[in-house]
Amino acid sequence: MNTSLRGKYCIAGVGETEFSRGSNRTTRAMGAEAIRNAMNDAGLKPEDVDGMLSYHGGDSTPSTSIMYDLGLRPNFYMDCSGGGSSTEALVGLAMGAIEAGMADTVAIFRSMNGYSQMRIGGTGVRAASPITGIDLLKRPYGMISAVQQFSFTFTRHMMEYGVKNEDLAHIKVAHSNHASNNPKALMKQRVTVEDVMNSRWIIRPVAHLLDCCLETDNATCVIVTSAERARDLKQKPVYILGVQGRGTKPGGDFHYQHGPISRVAGYYVGPRVFELAGVTHDDVDVTGCYDAFTYTALLQFEDYGWCEKGEGKDYVTSGIINLGGRRPNNTSGGHLCEAYTHGMNMVIENVRQLRGTVDDYCPQALEGVHTYDYSEGHCRQVRDAEVSMNMGWGTPAVGSSLIMRR
Amino acid sequence: MTTEYQKPLPRPLSPELTKPFWDAANRHELVMPRCQKCDHFFFYPREECPRCLSPDIQWASVSGRGRLHTYTIVHQPVNPAFREDAPHVYSVIQLDEGPRMISNMVECDLDDLRVDMPVVAVYDDVTPDWTLVKFKPA
Repeated sequence: MNTSLRGKYCIAGVGETEFSRGSNRTTRAMGAEAIRNAMNDAGLKPEDVDGMLSYHGGDSTPSTSIMYDLGLRPNFYMDCSGGGSSTEALVGLAMGAIEAGMADTVAIFRSMNGYSQMRIGGTGVRAASPITGIDLLKRPYGMISAVQQFSFTFTRHMMEYGVKNEDLAHIKVAHSNHASNNPKALMKQRVTVEDVMNSRWIIRPVAHLLDCCLETDNATCVIVTSAERARDLKQKPVYILGVQGRGTKPGGDFHYQHGPISRVAGYYVGPRVFELAGVTHDDVDVTGCYDAFTYTALLQFEDYGWCEKGEGKDYVTSGIINLGGRRPNNTSGGHLCEAYTHGMNMVIENVRQLRGTVDDYCPQALEGVHTYDYSEGHCRQVRDAEVSMNMGWGTPAVGSSLIMRR
Repeated sequence: MTTEYQKPLPRPLSPELTKPFWDAANRHELVMPRCQKCDHFFFYPREECPRCLSPDIQWASVSGRGRLHTYTIVHQPVNPAFREDAPHVYSVIQLDEGPRMISNMVECDLDDLRVDMPVVAVYDDVTPDWTLVKFKPA
């Protein structure tokens, strides 16, 4: 394993658009705004950004259009097919492109009208698309959406390890508490375990409505450059210690045919990213664990080794993942409460956490002055956060991870 | 039948690869691809054995018996054509011969569903041309 790039690259800028359900804007306009916000955050001018990477599911605008709205002329760009777990992987690809001399500073963006146009839940455009490939063996039985396809993994897990819906609800409760201190969050209202349990079933036994993320219109961006370059820029550099992905289980298409169905890709990704980063679980102060559904977070906590297999229910109900706990998770509210962005908002949040300048309701938040009062409408900065870890999820079979240090 | 079947039908783009499966389903039989070199049953159909990569594949009858490996009860179908069925059951069936396949569980009280419960294939002639293989408690 090549560990020579540890700490050699940084995330120098982050940015996003408003999170909404009805942007009335093109993905082109939103993508340009998110990148511009990240450039302003970093203090980069158009001539300073010479690389672009994006990911999409046929629902975005390519770099080749957006670059001209920003006055950029890239030496390198790629628009990659991908959803969740792409952010972390593309951070690694950006490092590779810079290391190869193909570019010096790379903007990575995701732009999606995930509510008003192409809904991830499989309605609208997706539901009408023709059936091909292995969908032949799924769609006639009614299967389309992510919540349905991922759920097989967790039904079996619940039966094997005795997980209750109340356990899952604690994840939503924690993330909603975090979102209540995030002015950007789409759903700021704090909820209780009872609220989750009383929301309607989407799929039984694994997901009530409030176990599911929020389809959102938005664009997001992170900018990667060398540590040397980052030190001359506006923000305190956030160093990339290790990145992995997209790593898979065997047979990533019908993964449930291979080995324990309740095992997810983090089982393979986790040991590699910790070795690459040269840190242990104990070193990590804040996590960003992909919460497309409450159970995707729980499965990843187990397979990344935050607890033993089967003990995820204890991990998520113990208070560890709450602000004020040992290792808060998704302090922005994550996909469940801030916005569904295909993973980028959780990386952005951790960059801000490591800078110490999370945009909460503290009057001097952007100067890094926080109250650490985690009650509703106040602070969400983790005290003295030094190391963060993101765990991106594509499917039960596909994952990525990113470890950063301030 | 006066009402047209509204749900998706498995009209394959490369019929030669999957035709034996659908033909057998029409006859109310379940067949699976089997590698002639290493004896491995596998599913979905592929041109080469996923275990030994041999292209020597034949279709072979299987018992239609297995266990409910995992499932999910859909309360909010995405495709409107399935709304009349809700709540209905997606399942992964562990066949006795080895492969796992996706299907629906039918003829079962939702509260009686358990992982690893024994199941057996049933054949649903959804149109004159197409039959779907589903499963019920054995």
